[in-house]
Amino acid sequence: MKLSYKWLRNYIDIDLNGKALEHELTFSGIEVEAVEHQGELLEQIIVAEIKSREAHPGSEHLSICQVDNGEEILQVICGAANCAAGSKVALAPVGADLGEFKIKRAKLRGEESYGMLCSEKELGISDNHDGIMILDENFEPGRHLSDYYDKSDVIFDVEITPNRPDLLCITGIARDLSALLHKSLQMPEPVLPAGKGDIRKLLKLENQATDLCTRYTARMIKDVKIGASPQWLKRSLEAVGMRSINNVVDVTNYVMLELGHPLHAFDYKLVAEQTILMRRGQAGERFTDLQNITHDLNAEDLVIADPQKVIALAGVIGAANSQISEETRDIIIESANFLYNSVRRTSKRLSIFTDSAYRFERDMSDEQAELASRRCCELILQTAGGELVSGMLDSYPKPVGTILVTIRPGRVEKVLSVKIAPEQIRRYLESLGLILHKEEAESMEFEIPHYRKDLTREIDLIEEIIRLYGYNNIEQKLQIRKIMNYDIFRNRRQVQDMLVSLGFCEVVNWSFSDPADLDKLRIEEADERRRFVTLKNPLGSSYAIMRPVLLPDILRNVLSNINYGQKSLKLFEMNKVFRQSSGKLAQEDYHLCGVMTGNREQVFWGRKVEDLDFYDIKGVVEDILSVMRLRNWEERNSDERYYQSGTGLDFYLSSVKLASMGKLDGKVCRSYGIEQVCYSFDIYLDAIYRQKRELIPAYQEIAKFPPVLRDLSFVISREFDVSEIRKTILESGGKQISQIVLFDEYKGKNIAAEKRSLTFSLTFSSSKKTLNDDIIAREMHNIIQNLEKKYRIELR
Amino acid sequence: MIEELKRLVEQAAQEINQAARQHDLMQLKSQYLGKKSAVNGFLQRLVELPTAERPGFGKIVNEAKQKLEALLKSRLETLKDAEYTQELQSERLDLSMPGRRFERGVLHPITQTWRDIEDLFLGLGFQVADGPDVEDEYHNFDALNTPQDHPARDLSDTFYIKDDVLLRTHTSPVQVRVMENTKPPIKIICPGRTYRNDNDATHSPCFHQVEALVVDEGISLADLRDMLNHFAQELFGPEIAVRIRPHFFPFTEPSAEMDMVCPKCLGSGCSLCKETGWLELGGAGIVDPNVFEIVGIDGEKYTGYAFGLGIDRIAMLRFGITDMRLLFGNDVRFLRQFR
Ligand SMILES: [Zn+2]
Repeated sequence: MKLSYKWLRNYIDIDLNGKALEHELTFSGIEVEAVEHQGELLEQIIVAEIKSREAHPGSEHLSICQVDNGEEILQVICGAANCAAGSKVALAPVGADLGEFKIKRAKLRGEESYGMLCSEKELGISDNHDGIMILDENFEPGRHLSDYYDKSDVIFDVEITPNRPDLLCITGIARDLSALLHKSLQMPEPVLPAGKGDIRKLLKLENQATDLCTRYTARMIKDVKIGASPQWLKRSLEAVGMRSINNVVDVTNYVMLELGHPLHAFDYKLVAEQTILMRRGQAGERFTDLQNITHDLNAEDLVIADPQKVIALAGVIGAANSQISEETRDIIIESANFLYNSVRRTSKRLSIFTDSAYRFERDMSDEQAELASRRCCELILQTAGGELVSGMLDSYPKPVGTILVTIRPGRVEKVLSVKIAPEQIRRYLESLGLILHKEEAESMEFEIPHYRKDLTREIDLIEEIIRLYGYNNIEQKLQIRKIMNYDIFRNRRQVQDMLVSLGFCEVVNWSFSDPADLDKLRIEEADERRRFVTLKNPLGSSYAIMRPVLLPDILRNVLSNINYGQKSLKLFEMNKVFRQSSGKLAQEDYHLCGVMTGNREQVFWGRKVEDLDFYDIKGVVEDILSVMRLRNWEERNSDERYYQSGTGLDFYLSSVKLASMGKLDGKVCRSYGIEQVCYSFDIYLDAIYRQKRELIPAYQEIAKFPPVLRDLSFVISREFDVSEIRKTILESGGKQISQIVLFDEYKGKNIAAEKRSLTFSLTFSSSKKTLNDDIIAREMHNIIQNLEKKYRIELR
Repeated sequence: MIEELKRLVEQAAQEINQAARQHDLMQLKSQYLGKKSAVNGFLQRLVELPTAERPGFGKIVNEAKQKLEALLKSRLETLKDAEYTQELQSERLDLSMPGRRFERGVLHPITQTWRDIEDLFLGLGFQVADGPDVEDEYHNFDALNTPQDHPARDLSDTFYIKDDVLLRTHTSPVQVRVMENTKPPIKIICPGRTYRNDNDATHSPCFHQVEALVVDEGISLADLRDMLNHFAQELFGPEIAVRIRPHFFPFTEPSAEMDMVCPKCLGSGCSLCKETGWLELGGAGIVDPNVFEIVGIDGEKYTGYAFGLGIDRIAMLRFGITDMRLLFGNDVRFLRQFR
């Protein structure tokens, strides 16, 4: 629903800027979806007078106008048919910002133009785009248009929750704001003249469907003059996006927006037999609405009819056969209420969605009908003249009684955990229109206003209280303690689970170790791991220290499994290692250590049996590091001496060692009784958790244009590493290279002994354009040239 | 001319329906519908007709083209279907051969049990706390109200690093550390590795324990019993009841040992429960006010319960493992049973 700030201020004296009001609305439960500042445009628009108009020599549709902007004469090219010398027009000068575009000095078919003459639509004044806007001849050239049209307003587009139909109008919002901001509320209090004659002699109501039509009132005004609405009325409607039709229809719409209650006006002359019936539709009956669309009715529909024809679908839409026209003289004002679900069913079934149906299907108040009728007649008399007929017809079969709800301040405190004094509770509720009915020691009974059908229970009142008190003014309880680190907790599990799915069995060993293990692993005297923690009363000498490394235990596990005939093994342990610390206790860090040996994969029919190699375990380590959210680590030759020389790697991030891996030295294996090739890795979990990492991967836009793949195969000396070659390719291939995959390595037959053949698969992609063959050819040429220069490669 | 066209269409239709291979169909298509085909030839011959008859005949030629196109399409489908049917007959799989799997590993049964316990408590709003294995005497004993000369401090039970530094004998010091740093309400579990100087068929010098601690206003023995029952039933099944018996722990008062119905015989008695129908599960109790005083929690305002259980023991009971040493033997033939 659109809400005009200016209009709102007719009822409540507030002086907030747009932002502040948006905040108040939002935190009272009225969500603001958009804010539009109107009228700023008109401050840039100048009143100008067309001094002369000539045809454009280069175009039939354009004319060359000389316009007076109050200071000088400017040439402006205009395409409208209605531009004529002597007219006062709205000039957007060079530099004016019309939102969708900015006015610039331009040349139109060879003729200079210093501005633009605007239509009403371009200025946001109306939807009229038939030619330029012609201003009142009294407007003074040079003045800003905003001096004549005060269109400055802030329009809020608010979303009203379905439980609050009372907020579907400007006074409803004003009422809520007055309670919230402690400002007095000025509700319209329409007063009607006594009128002449007697409506009962002119019109009869017959309510034949009292279950669906809970109230129906009718008033009449004779001798109205149908015509254009006055400016204030037009502006009010247009500001919130409603079209002006004529003074009577506009008033009914105005009152709907003001009080929330939809109304309908009939031309008295077109109502047959001076009788209005409220009845169910009949099978086979048809109805043609104001939009000239015909609908089939059934007994579920409530219709307003005269004895001869249907004149409206109750609460949904009227018919052309009885609508107000220029010839109308006497009018009937309907203000009624209809059962909400009946309106909803009809509106949905027939796909007629009107402002009226939108409100009725949210359950309006029977009581409001009379006020709306009174207000409507008051305004029609003001804007369309005429004479009120005395009296009001009113079919109101079951007037609503008083609704009382009891609230206990003790209960308020229990639910909200704030103590609110009974007097304060009373003030809050009274500011919303509730009336204290009875007060007892520990409870108060309130009468609920008819427009708040949503308030039926104590808890509903408590909700109103906290809304006014402010949700965020409640002190937080602070009961939840931060004890665990969920990121690390989850990540440890992710790493374990990943290893399991890669075929690893988890082992669990005691935390004791033998100092001789450090010798077997060739760990140097100066190594920190030598500063181990010794037990005073160990189980025995081979359990004398707290283990500083996990590897020896896993190697012992490998040996015992091999002895049981299990020769292909993938084992890991995730546990603490210990060493002395500067403090009283020990330095304890989680490590993840693993060993792989034997076949690459489980033996199966149809699958080649192959031995594991270095790159299998390197892949595992790369997987672990990336699950641990490490990126861009650095690889160096390992300084661990238990790896076979030249087959170990250490992984670093900003010069902190985070992992190592490699092929175990054969002698080290043999010292543990193992005769087969083993590979191992050691991941420094806690050291990695201490690093800054991108814990939640940020989505990267996927290239919109199809990627282009190119293979690159060449023979190259073995002295150059793939990482170096990759870098060269990346650097010479431009920004379009998104992936470089090593596809194949080949050594042997047909290749010189000191050389190898490498095949890379390159992916080029761009988010900006389709990569054509020329671009790719250029990039590939660059890459090959650089590779030839640097490594003397031979293409294959 | 119409007759001539009719004959041509009839002949083409016959040939199409007799075509045996997809290749033949392609040839027929170019022969009858191609640019230089006979059917197209009729269109070129339109000029021979009187002007008035031209549109009518053009229409007939086009209809003939459409008819032949439809025939070609349907014959092509028929041939493809036949080919596919033949393929199906030649492709006979021995469905009984085993699927080609990748070796899947396994988490150690201790880890599996550990995780199940963590998840159970996480769902109940507990957090998981961790602490050092190498602990000082203060957190392991003093702060837990264990007197200086208590037999638990004996060298024969406890591994010592220095005079006042040891390997924690339970995870209770983690509770102490949390209480020192955190105001109630506290709801934690502390799973972890613990150490006792014991090594035989039923005792491992390294073992795993989980302790739970709840400190808040109004916590009572009733809450503890509720939790113990829930815990046992979630891990061992809905038939498992828990009972508690008076016992002594320095850090709880009242203290209790808890037993659960033997999950193997459900209480009727078997060798596992030594014919008693019950199995000892662990220790429990209401946090001793002295402990609260030591860690600086108002023992008048707050009460709490704590209990501790052996993870390894629960793992053995759940998986039916009878020998403790299997747990630390890491034989893959053992481990892979728990995949
Ligand atoms: Zn039993």
